[in-house]
Amino acid sequence: MQRTKGYLDEQFCQIEDLQDETSPNFAEEVVSLFFKDSVRLVTNIEQAMEKYPEDFNRWDAHMQQLKGSCYSIGASKMNNECTLFRNNCGQENAEGCMRSFQKVKREHAILRQKLESYFQLLRQAGPAGTATRPAGK
Amino acid sequence: MDRRRIRVLLVEDEEIHRVVARAVLRGAGADVDEAENGAEAVRLVRERIGGGGGGAYDLILTDRQMPVMDGHEATRRIRAMGVATPIVAVSSDCLPSDVHAFTAAGADDFTPKPLTKEKLGHILAKFQLA
Repeated sequence: MQRTKGYLDEQFCQIEDLQDETSPNFAEEVVSLFFKDSVRLVTNIEQAMEKYPEDFNRWDAHMQQLKGSCYSIGASKMNNECTLFRNNCGQENAEGCMRSFQKVKREHAILRQKLESYFQLLRQAGPAGTATRPAGK
Repeated sequence: MDRRRIRVLLVEDEEIHRVVARAVLRGAGADVDEAENGAEAVRLVRERIGGGGGGAYDLILTDRQMPVMDGHEATRRIRAMGVATPIVAVSSDCLPSDVHAFTAAGADDFTPKPLTKEKLGHILAKFQLA
């Protein structure tokens, strides 16, 4: 899980802790749900930015939903970019929103790649592998 | 003697949050009913206290922003029925004004999303459901 350091926070470990014999792939299922949701939400934001120029309240409302999803799996780095976008909305800075939205999309793509690799490695490693908590936690 | 499992109503429209919260609640030994909006929550609460549903819920966890009926309105309507069940808002809207709006509607507590084992532990201890 070292390769995802900084991208995911303690919440991801909590998700993995919820796995048991009845739900051995719970974390992967939640992550799949996250990407199903987040792809839709990113598209909604993109469309809102095209169809409703400088409607910062609308843009912000959509991004708030995406942030909520990020919280659910501990996607901290992506969450931070979502926050920057929302800050730009608050300042009614359209250019800033455009830039930070590109960063949100980039972090989303990186996170997806890392998590796909992670779960692939887990499948190869067998049932004992999970994320490592940061030292001291 | 086996402890009775606590009965929780989870009110949340986003599937991912329902899935995570459901797992946390079941891990804590709760029986969970789910509503995807406030109107459905009000209906389930009414059914429960109507005599055919096995008695009131022990705990209600509700989001704020939902289609059909939001968490504030659902909380108000549940309280208007005379239901004293602890209602805890679990929401990503965490400004003091959001928290105040929920408590003004009749909620007993507020915790930011996502629901975790630790947060649930605090809730259960606070309302003596542990």
